[in-house]
Amino acid sequence: MAKRFLTAEDVRHAGTKEIVVDEQTIVTPQAMEAAQSASIVIRTAAGAYAEPKPDRGPDADRALRSLPHLPEPQDEEAAGAGVIVTAVGKNRAGVLAELTGALAQAGVSIHDISQRVVDGYFHLILVVELDPGATFGPLKQRLECMGGPDDYAVRVMHQRVFRFMHRV
Amino acid sequence: MAFTDHEILETVRMFELETLDIRTTTLGINLLDCADPDLEATCEKIYAKIVHHGRNLVAIADSITADYGIPIVNKRIATTPIALVAAACGSRDLVPIARAMDAAARECGVDFIGGFTAYVYKGFSNADRALFESIPQALAQTERVCSSIALASTRAGINMDATARFAEIVLETARLTQDRGGLGCAKLVCFANAVEDNPFVAGAHLGVGEAETVINVGVSGPGVVRSALARLGRDADLLAVAETVKRTAFKITRMGELVGREAARRMGTTFGIVDISLAPTPALGDSVSDILELIGVDRTGAPGTTVALALLTDAVKKGGAMASSSVGGLSGAFIPVSEDSGMIEAVRCGALSLAKLEAMTSVCSVGLDMVAVPGDTPAATIFGIIADEMAIGMVNYKTTAVRIIPVPGKGPGDTVEWGGLLGTAIVQDPGRFSCAGLFARGGRVPAPIQSYRN
Repeated sequence: MAKRFLTAEDVRHAGTKEIVVDEQTIVTPQAMEAAQSASIVIRTAAGAYAEPKPDRGPDADRALRSLPHLPEPQDEEAAGAGVIVTAVGKNRAGVLAELTGALAQAGVSIHDISQRVVDGYFHLILVVELDPGATFGPLKQRLECMGGPDDYAVRVMHQRVFRFMHRV
Repeated sequence: MAFTDHEILETVRMFELETLDIRTTTLGINLLDCADPDLEATCEKIYAKIVHHGRNLVAIADSITADYGIPIVNKRIATTPIALVAAACGSRDLVPIARAMDAAARECGVDFIGGFTAYVYKGFSNADRALFESIPQALAQTERVCSSIALASTRAGINMDATARFAEIVLETARLTQDRGGLGCAKLVCFANAVEDNPFVAGAHLGVGEAETVINVGVSGPGVVRSALARLGRDADLLAVAETVKRTAFKITRMGELVGREAARRMGTTFGIVDISLAPTPALGDSVSDILELIGVDRTGAPGTTVALALLTDAVKKGGAMASSSVGGLSGAFIPVSEDSGMIEAVRCGALSLAKLEAMTSVCSVGLDMVAVPGDTPAATIFGIIADEMAIGMVNYKTTAVRIIPVPGKGPGDTVEWGGLLGTAIVQDPGRFSCAGLFARGGRVPAPIQSYRN
């Protein structure tokens, strides 16, 4: 069985100028240092040593497969990567135009829209869909920079958040 | 639209105004393969393995926050009880291991690492004893390491020898960290029926029945429950209160479930549990005490507080159990005195005594948490407070814990500021009567009749 770790002590006792470790072995930083100062080369049978990919244990693969994705829709692809944009603030002319303009620039199509004004304050909800290949992060950043403390605030959240919170 | 406006605005409000967040994403790492006859090699392996697995935890948690807009406040690491890992090296001083854990935690960018732990509910192994004796120095010399000791269980009873020694260790830890108001004790907790998948510090560790690596998530959200009850109004009856808490807990827990699944997927590891504890912070509105007062007690600690807390804890568990198939950890409501602005106020105005707090712990999810007592409290008194709490846990098949801080140089009524998440405490009066006779006896409280279930 492969050695799990190579420690500085192992390096000091090796007595050779080259230590061949298994690909899964974790070489401790102290062992690396000890090898360097004694000009010992640590390598695997295949070549230079590189820290292995973390082995998360025998349960990890199964755990990934068996995650039940309720309350996700059966066919998530068909549902699309929905994003919900909300804006809340003082009502004034042009808010909707600003937001939809920004969405258009980002190449995002709007699926649904709802807006209400109560006592001079509005709330606006947009359900939008990202193009395949478009990423959520930049869109979120861009939209959430809009508005201001005395104007309106924008929040961009993944549809999955709402699905998890409100569907059994 | 797949969701109503009401649903969407409710969710946004929870995050924006009611401080809903994921309190912690904790990566459990099994360290049993780090055992080595040599202490130095043990430390090396522990450091290497923690960094190997935990290196990208913070980046992954941050990427989930960016993608979903859900704040994840703390990223933490929990390890196998160190007493088990260190047994092979036979060393009497395990402080170097704590330092290795501390360095690994710093390297991973996590704020706390739990697992300087021993299970001693029935007796000490040599390694347990070594760990015990190393605790004061370990906590004084490190910044991020947390220590927990299992002193009792329903199955085994209470190890009173260990409890007595633990009380002395609490005092010693406070003395070594007196320049910081005894802060070392905030990282030290003891348990009855310790929970082996607890994601919350100071008690976080990874039990021996757990997987190689596992993601456990702790959600919070007292602010959300408080707002929901405020909207419900004062006239609604208690069934309506319970129902409101339950529904709210469901929604909060689902956020934990989402983050837990996603974090496990991105880490490539197992998703363990969601701990659905309402965990307060010193921030205004993020208070369990406020919820109790909304349910109908003038001040936390007044008569009626225990029943209000019982209702709250139970409703939180029920909502959470529906929301996730893997509810675990402690789950319920935490009542850490110094971390809850409402509780601090209740102590300040004399509503909340140590005795009432103990009664409340019989129905909350953990126990006496972040309680400050005078620095000159005798070890026997601290022992008595801990042993009482252990008895509540043992008899009721319940997890109870004690995190008590004897604040050096302070007396009853004094204020101590720890800052940050640990908050402010008013030093409480443990009374002038002692239990020195009980302290001197030693031995073990045998397992209660409730344990005979086979």
